Amino acid sequence: MAKKEAFKCLNPVGTQEPVDIYPLAPRLDTLDGKTIHLSICGEPDITIPLEKRLKGDYPNINWTLKKSYGTYPIRLSEEERKTTDGVILGVCW
Amino acid sequence: MPYLADLETSGIPTVLIDLAEENEKVKHDALIYGIPELRFVSASRRLPGPEDVDNIIGSIVEGLTRPLTSKEKKKGHWAPEQPRIIFEGTLDDAQDFYQQTEKIPGIFNAPFSMYTDGLPIIVPTEDKVKEMLTGTSHKPDELITVQSDIEMRSPDSVHPGVTRKRGDVVRFMPMYRTATVEQVAVNAVMAGCKPEYFPVVLAIAESGGGTGDGRGGGGAFLVSGPIYKEIGMNVSYGRLSIGNPPNKTIGRVGSLMWRNLGGYKETVSTIMTYGNPITNGGFLLAEYAEGLPPGWKGLNEEMGFKKNESIIMTVGPGEWGIGQEHMPGVYRSLQKSGHGAIARFLNVKGLPGPHNYIDFITDGIWRTMEGGFTLVLVPDMAKDMYDYGFKSKEAIYEYIWKKSFEPVKDYRMRGRPDYRTNGWMSIEKTSGKHWKELSDDYMVPAGGDDPFGSFCIIVCDGQETASERFSGGHGQAYSIDAWR
Repeated sequence: MAKKEAFKCLNPVGTQEPVDIYPLAPRLDTLDGKTIHLSICGEPDITIPLEKRLKGDYPNINWTLKKSYGTYPIRLSEEERKTTDGVILGVCW
Repeated sequence: MPYLADLETSGIPTVLIDLAEENEKVKHDALIYGIPELRFVSASRRLPGPEDVDNIIGSIVEGLTRPLTSKEKKKGHWAPEQPRIIFEGTLDDAQDFYQQTEKIPGIFNAPFSMYTDGLPIIVPTEDKVKEMLTGTSHKPDELITVQSDIEMRSPDSVHPGVTRKRGDVVRFMPMYRTATVEQVAVNAVMAGCKPEYFPVVLAIAESGGGTGDGRGGGGAFLVSGPIYKEIGMNVSYGRLSIGNPPNKTIGRVGSLMWRNLGGYKETVSTIMTYGNPITNGGFLLAEYAEGLPPGWKGLNEEMGFKKNESIIMTVGPGEWGIGQEHMPGVYRSLQKSGHGAIARFLNVKGLPGPHNYIDFITDGIWRTMEGGFTLVLVPDMAKDMYDYGFKSKEAIYEYIWKKSFEPVKDYRMRGRPDYRTNGWMSIEKTSGKHWKELSDDYMVPAGGDDPFGSFCIIVCDGQETASERFSGGHGQAYSIDAWR
């Protein structure tokens, strides 16, 4: 029986560019007195009670807020970043 | 995700709240943006908000304060292996290779194709791919980039429009991958395309290959210009049916680009909701410009190209249009003698046409769905509308759009505007005022923000006087000729 011909076949997958992996930012020792930013996008059923609870349970935090109903967060400006110690973002990213 | 990566790498700790079934997607995105250890907390789609918050609030706070583990402090480099030749063997074995599946837990371990849309493919041997590349003058190793500056229209008030510059590298979603002309050719071979179709395929690739934001479903495309005739696209009877190789195979290639170039893997790299019955298997339709009434522009000219230039335009046929439907003969009776159902509806019984068919098909069309649509007319119907008084397509877009106006109090009851208006915090475009400033009786368009963006008409051949409608108006256009 004749041997079947072998073919070289090409890869259909797109190119995944190599990625540098970074460590996470150092965490905070305490949240008291810190400025924590709430970046809210989507799911008001969750984010409205979350905002209320965070502000009630953690009155010593300086809370800032940007809200969108869309799927992309509204970014902090460079100036705002200088005074922001941490960010809680949800529910889309 | 790029925002979170930017914050973390610039020293600002973050916590992401996702929904539980999105965890795999979060991990994928985090890896691609270089922060694979991103901290996230999963909310629920089912629990009432306050209960949900009870469950997650501790983890959210802890995410900002718990010291980093050694793994979270690690630097590194991720470079997946990507060989050009992926398989060597007989054609039978190659077919088996490309049709491999994997079981995905997020869909009850149902099998999911690793390299195809679920159907068998033409095996992309070196010779087949080389032959496909004869369909373009572009080099095999050239990256797919934007061929001319494009102002991307905003789909709603939430997402701003952006400008894409000539030379910008096209990203295929959801994995943000790039592709070369050769990689597109591999997918075109697999879909069954012929080399002469390849410029159309490359224009589709330039548009993002039907991958959208990762949930593109393979996309949907209209073709305008002389290329339809050159490659034998069916613009006549059965144009949305089976049997025509270019319509079927070029239509299919978007699905393969989504799977392979973009890396779509359901519940892993993206969550698609449930898919789209209209684009499942491909959606490609070409315009028959020879059938346009005098003065009506072809789609290519409407989109700023010349009459002899060939283009593709992206469309979003999310749902078929609702509103009135009819048998083709009822339309003929209307225009020939003022007889039948549409004549009764328009109150023109016994009067020969031309009569305003647009009034009939748009009746009730916004009752359960806002937004625009594309209307496909055959030449006789387009000529009737011209004779009635619509001397341009734009005149019909404007007419339909104006019919869509309704009071704010009704518009507020609809399903999508909470999102589209950014929680009613954005500007209503026809008035230039904030939504919350408008009175209940103020009239706003249910048919989208502007006539041209919301509505589109193309003419296809045929004497059977029926029309087709599908969601969405004018999308973005891309030159096919740039890829010849």
